[in-house]
Amino acid sequence: MATDIEKSLLIIVLDINPMQKLIKQVITQVLSSTIVFANAHLMQRSNNILAFMSCHDHGAEFLYPKDDMPGVRQYDGQYEKFSQLEHTVRKQIHKIVGEMPMKHSNETLISGALSMGLCYITRLEREKYAGEKINSRMIVITGSVDSATQYMHYMNIFFTAQKMGIILDVCSLEHELTLLQQGCDLTGGNYLKLPQNNGKPNIPGLLQYLMWIFLPDPAIRSKLVLPPPVKVDYRAACFCHQELIDTGYVCSVCLSIFCKIRPICTTCHTMFKFAVPLAHKPKKRKKAIDMVQ
Amino acid sequence: MADDEMEDEKEYRWESGYEKTWEAIKEDDQGMLEASVADIILKAKRKRQLDRKQGSRLGMMRHMYLILDCSESMTNQDLKPTRFLCSIKLLEDFIEEFFYQNPISQLGVIITRNKRAEKITDLTGNPKKPIKDLQALQQTSFTGEPSLQNSLELALKTLKMLPAHASREILVIMGSLTTCDPGDIGETIQTVKADGIRCSVIGLAAELNVCKILAVNTGGEHGVVLDDKHFKEKLTAHIDPPPAATRLDAALVKMGFPHHALQASTTELSVAVCMCHADQPNENGRYTNPGYLCPQCFSKHCELPVECRSCGLTLVSAPHLARSYHYLFPIQQFQELENQQMQTNCYACQKRFTDVDKKVYNCGKCKKIFCVDCEIFIHESLHTCPGCATNTDLTMQKISNNKST
Repeated sequence: MATDIEKSLLIIVLDINPMQKLIKQVITQVLSSTIVFANAHLMQRSNNILAFMSCHDHGAEFLYPKDDMPGVRQYDGQYEKFSQLEHTVRKQIHKIVGEMPMKHSNETLISGALSMGLCYITRLEREKYAGEKINSRMIVITGSVDSATQYMHYMNIFFTAQKMGIILDVCSLEHELTLLQQGCDLTGGNYLKLPQNNGKPNIPGLLQYLMWIFLPDPAIRSKLVLPPPVKVDYRAACFCHQELIDTGYVCSVCLSIFCKIRPICTTCHTMFKFAVPLAHKPKKRKKAIDMVQ
Repeated sequence: MADDEMEDEKEYRWESGYEKTWEAIKEDDQGMLEASVADIILKAKRKRQLDRKQGSRLGMMRHMYLILDCSESMTNQDLKPTRFLCSIKLLEDFIEEFFYQNPISQLGVIITRNKRAEKITDLTGNPKKPIKDLQALQQTSFTGEPSLQNSLELALKTLKMLPAHASREILVIMGSLTTCDPGDIGETIQTVKADGIRCSVIGLAAELNVCKILAVNTGGEHGVVLDDKHFKEKLTAHIDPPPAATRLDAALVKMGFPHHALQASTTELSVAVCMCHADQPNENGRYTNPGYLCPQCFSKHCELPVECRSCGLTLVSAPHLARSYHYLFPIQQFQELENQQMQTNCYACQKRFTDVDKKVYNCGKCKKIFCVDCEIFIHESLHTCPGCATNTDLTMQKISNNKST
């Protein structure tokens, strides 16, 4: 009885930015793998819920569930819910790709999709029956490169997710994503960069990796032999040179990080007062001069 | 004296708040009250955000002493189950939330009873310690009178020593209607004021003039709770950092960003004594494998943020600092619009708007429409507008703005 009121919600965020070198060639393959993965989640338990989102360089949208989904029909004896999911997702992606503007950038708005996902989760939490429990997690499947432009959004999302107990998983197809890695570490999710095969990512194996690493519930994961956790770099980058530093100076007003002492904060234009180091130096020098003379 | 009071606060709550409440509730066309009740609920939900001031310089490195009255009056049962147990429960949540929202701040606890003040937790950056100490208090007895002056002096002793860039605060939770002080409390208040310490008082019984003077003189807030919900509200008001006093000096603070060291991932890290548990008597807890190494003296700590026990360097991780950035770049208030069925769904949560949703909210930047619950969620916890985050131009524009300023 206890398990009946426990639901598990999975939000899949698929990056379909056409600027990714990889996705152009293998989008159909990645999409098929992801849909099978989504069906596998629905198959595990009858009250599992799923949401499917796509994101690209011009926005993000929910593909499934939709208000106006096509009627349920059986294809080749497939379970109705699966075929409904597959048809809705494929149709929507077809529509989105067709409507995409020609101007593209490398920047995929994953943070936007994640923030919408979080709002969706809070809505389900709000609308659930008393006593019902929803275990939510989100998975990002992307082939884009890391970018610091969305840093603020990401951090806000990671901390909100951490606070709400939502797990964030990331499956990177091609590149090392340090920012999302931090998110996985903060929220307790798994991070996987697809192993390379002769310099090319192992796309045919994608489904197997998804099923093995990301399908099991977080409770079961501790019992599985998963790839070893990656060492997450939590060092800060200074605002002046964007270099990673071990010790730095932090502005007490706006918390900007600098690698050297400076008189004015470049972020908030505050003048700093120096108590000890500057006041003492001239004195010592004078003394030294006296000694020499 | 009476004139002064008239100026700074025109009326008390019992004079204004409950006046003609029946006028606010109106029947709709079908003679139902639901609509206006929903309206009142909605207004209450949004109240805290509308009150929030924006754009002022904040005192982000907060050092706060919590002074808790532990006198006989705390056993009073007007707050359920008792004033004390109610306070402890609410303070636990408060402390958690305080450290969550102010990651590089410090908090200490002082209790006062039997005309004495006693420091039970020194200023610390870890929420576990003060919560544990507060819970341990349940076993002790509540006797005698509190002493406001003694507790202020005790807090003053530590707060005085802090560097000038830190914001210093005292939050007093007062259950008693009397205080037993050894000297002139007026002088203490003047010293506290001279040191730039912001004192706020939450009264559990009734308003005390001495508390009010203390709060007014030092720029704090003073309030008396009506019930436990109101108590919680009063506490939450202290979670956001206060606007920085103008005399607060800015300074560059040296901080360390230690490596995150995992089990057996590096040879440099063998089993070593964790500095946080070094003084613990039992052997088991002292040796830990994963931890953070201070970049200056290489002593190991098991948690962040912490002040290095051996060299005194503040150790933080970059996400800790990033957690408070939302105070610096707050998202704008959304514009309230009448729902005219322009959009069928909320942009963020995909909720279909129905007749119940009278008001919808519009982000001024990205022009997306949100429902009221999302609006609250976005401003209270997410601090990122989903509409702006899914808009290429705005994301890029924001970056260039940040760079230019």
